[in-house]
Amino acid sequence: MSMPVSPRGRRAFLRRLAGGAAGAVVLPSLLQACGRGPGGSATSGGGDRGGELVISSFPLYIDPGQPGAPGSVERFRKDTGINLRYVEDVNDVRQFFARIRPQLASGQPLAQDLVVLTSWMAERLIRLGWVEPLPLAEVPNARHLIPSLRNPSWDLQQRFSLPWQTGIAGIAYNIKATGRELRSIDDLFDPKLKGRVSALLEMRDTMGLLMLADGKDISMPTWEAAQPSFDRLEKARRDGQIRRFTGNDYQNDLLAGNLAACIGWSGDVAQLALEQPDLRFLVPESGGMLWADLMLMPKGARHRQEAAQWMNWVYEPVEAARIAAAVQYISPVQGVREILAKDPATAALARNPLMFPDAATRQRLHIFGPLDDQEEARWEERFAQITEG
Amino acid sequence: MPRSPRAEADRRRRWWPWLLLAPGLIWLIGLYVLPLLGLVPLSLSEPVSRFGLETVFRGRVGNYAEVLQAYGPILVRSFGFALIATALGLVLAYPLAFAIRFHGGRWKSLLVGLVVLPSLTSYLVRAIAFTSLLGDSGPVLNLVASLGLTGWLDGLGVLRDGRLLNTPTAVILGLTNNLLPFLVLPLVVAMERIDPRLLEVADDLHAGPLRSFTQVVWPLSLPGLGAGILLSLIPAAGDVVNPKFLGGPNDRMIANAIETLLLVQLQAPRAAALTLVLMALITLAVLLQLRGRGVDDLPLP
Amino acid sequence: MTRAGGWLLGIWSALAYGLLYAPVVVTVLFSFNAPRGRFNLIWQGFTLENWRHPLRDQALTDAFLTSLGLSLAAALLALLLGGLMALALSRARVRGGRSIELLLALPLTNPEIVVATALLNLFVGIDLPRGPLTLVLSHSLFCLSYAALTLKARLAGFDPTLELAAQDLGATPLAAFRRVTLPLLVPGLLAATLLCFSLSFDDYVISSFTAGETVILPLYLAGAFQREISPQIQVLSTLVLLVSVAALLLASPRKGRL
Repeated sequence: MSMPVSPRGRRAFLRRLAGGAAGAVVLPSLLQACGRGPGGSATSGGGDRGGELVISSFPLYIDPGQPGAPGSVERFRKDTGINLRYVEDVNDVRQFFARIRPQLASGQPLAQDLVVLTSWMAERLIRLGWVEPLPLAEVPNARHLIPSLRNPSWDLQQRFSLPWQTGIAGIAYNIKATGRELRSIDDLFDPKLKGRVSALLEMRDTMGLLMLADGKDISMPTWEAAQPSFDRLEKARRDGQIRRFTGNDYQNDLLAGNLAACIGWSGDVAQLALEQPDLRFLVPESGGMLWADLMLMPKGARHRQEAAQWMNWVYEPVEAARIAAAVQYISPVQGVREILAKDPATAALARNPLMFPDAATRQRLHIFGPLDDQEEARWEERFAQITEG
Repeated sequence: MPRSPRAEADRRRRWWPWLLLAPGLIWLIGLYVLPLLGLVPLSLSEPVSRFGLETVFRGRVGNYAEVLQAYGPILVRSFGFALIATALGLVLAYPLAFAIRFHGGRWKSLLVGLVVLPSLTSYLVRAIAFTSLLGDSGPVLNLVASLGLTGWLDGLGVLRDGRLLNTPTAVILGLTNNLLPFLVLPLVVAMERIDPRLLEVADDLHAGPLRSFTQVVWPLSLPGLGAGILLSLIPAAGDVVNPKFLGGPNDRMIANAIETLLLVQLQAPRAAALTLVLMALITLAVLLQLRGRGVDDLPLP
Repeated sequence: MTRAGGWLLGIWSALAYGLLYAPVVVTVLFSFNAPRGRFNLIWQGFTLENWRHPLRDQALTDAFLTSLGLSLAAALLALLLGGLMALALSRARVRGGRSIELLLALPLTNPEIVVATALLNLFVGIDLPRGPLTLVLSHSLFCLSYAALTLKARLAGFDPTLELAAQDLGATPLAAFRRVTLPLLVPGLLAATLLCFSLSFDDYVISSFTAGETVILPLYLAGAFQREISPQIQVLSTLVLLVSVAALLLASPRKGRL
């Protein structure tokens, strides 16, 4: 069900905007006409870009091309002849949502045929009816999806989403800077680390970890259960214990030595550790957060068949293994580990417990449960007050 | 070409300016006046649904009370940071302008050019450079440590736990760097109007350097001073970049809050209310500064 | 002034230049850094490697070129609209002229975030997709005021009797404008173009609200903190600085007024 925009609302807005002046209504519609005109590159949303398959994703989330060794994007182009434009412009899921919302809310297609977003955002888009069912009949390789990710809570019938990567949110730290091994979330609140700790702007990861440390059940998160964690976070921010709240940008602070410890994501830290061997990643004793980023097809996408080819291509275990070796997250594709183990260059990755968590680690990983609309609004407001207020 | 009769020429003279003004006026009204006026009803509205675009007008004055309550401290902090940065800027800019004007000699143009030159590097790139400079293992802190000043500066509150990056000091340094040219230029222009012979006369009268400064230079530089302060305060109070990249969570400024309200929390009405509050405060400051003088006195770079 | 006072003034001025130039020097320096990993923020060692292919970071270069086009379009549009307004305001006694000047000056007294919020609400309200068009519209708006007011100041300082003299000598008003006024205006026009261009080229706040999917340089730079601060950013900034210095030297009249 898509959300219709009532013409009454639109007109009411224009009237308010115009403040009664007749000419004012003419100008906007004139501008609008320009936007749709033949110089139509102006229409950032929608429009068939000459058979171009457009995908938006997070930065550094695919194997990059090297001289002499083309990356996945290039190889896909060559294999299929499809003109793929792969854009790494999802820096912050919420800001990305704010950007695509106006078009989707008014029923216009986006430029993108596929977007990679986090599962809670996927759930929201599915609920709003802003995504298409995936053409899974044309994605035979979807059978390689690992069983634990089938029919997940955010998409029970597995109609709208296919996982891109999954990963763990836990504690990343520089052992030289902390001077000791860390064990728990409490270590982030150690006064010795004051001002050299950061947490994520991704609410479910930061709050999930804190609530787990409080012994709360986060598969059914409740407002009341979250209060102690909110308070603790707020106090830590005020006291200057927490230096920053970050997206991916904790990485440069970690490398530059501005952070001793932070809440971070497993694959990032695995990659960074290649540059800075003192970095460690910890799944706290109280538990780590398991999250998933998913491929979704925005409502009205033009290149469904090409998008299906892409999904099928990246679900080919050989290709999935290449991507996994580069991004070092948990691949959702079966058979990746065996392929990595066979190649001496990647055999070490096959033994990496962050990419292939063992049973003991798996037991300590949790998925943040669903929040209904009103609850989510309340949570987000409180969290934003703490992190960005 | 035959000359037109006088009456017709007069008639033509009356409408041709408007023909020239029309396109620009359409731009200003369509893209500035109306959108700004549009914020007023929006600020009194409520979103219809959490993710939809529509809002309904409810005469909801409560939006203002809410944003003032939630963001009052940030508003105060924004003007506080802007004032400190401007004051710090003035301490540096005034003597510099004085030196350029009265001791610049034939290098004067070059010296002024050198003040403007850094602005040609994007302020985002300068923010990136500041993160290198001010980082925990960066050169500035190393220097401070080797001079043995860390404890003292920490006591003064300039450093926070021995840190510089992601503290108010870093934000203020970034702001001061950005606004220095806007302070120096109007000051130099104002001092340029001071006849050096006035200083010679003062000297002949044995006025002494201090008196000739307080009696001649200072009063005559005041217009430039006012202009510079205005040109610095406005952008500084509304800055996004420095608090975002150089500050910590306790150093966010009002424009960051508006950005978050609009682009993350999707609360257009409250964002509009906060925007209008900010605009009202700035307009008040401008009016205080101009106090009846005309637009010609409005300083332009 | 005493000798000690002179020294003090000199040192103080050097301090001011120091604060102005610290980030610029760091930027130029880091264009020669050989960073480990993705973030060119820590000095590792000197290299010329980054300068061998200054434009090799494709995404950065694309953003840079998009910015060039946008800023050029916005500056020229603002110059056209603002020039016409300046002409009317300085050459005719327009009733309400003062109010129009006030209207022109108003956007300059608003922090960017105010204009950004207002424009975003406008574009969303009239359902105009954010992209190159909305970028040009919003950039030309904030450039318009600068263009109109600086050009008006130039025209006001210009002797109208010259134009009348030309007309007396038989030139049509249009010809008199083209042959007499315009050439005298060229330095002012150039200065206004440069000002508008650089304002637009460096604009982050309004762009971040009105760009949609279009990536221009300031937006790319802001995203770099999340992604990768490649040395090409510093290389490109140094190049821009060099080109601007050259342009300024060429454009500045031999004996310019301040």
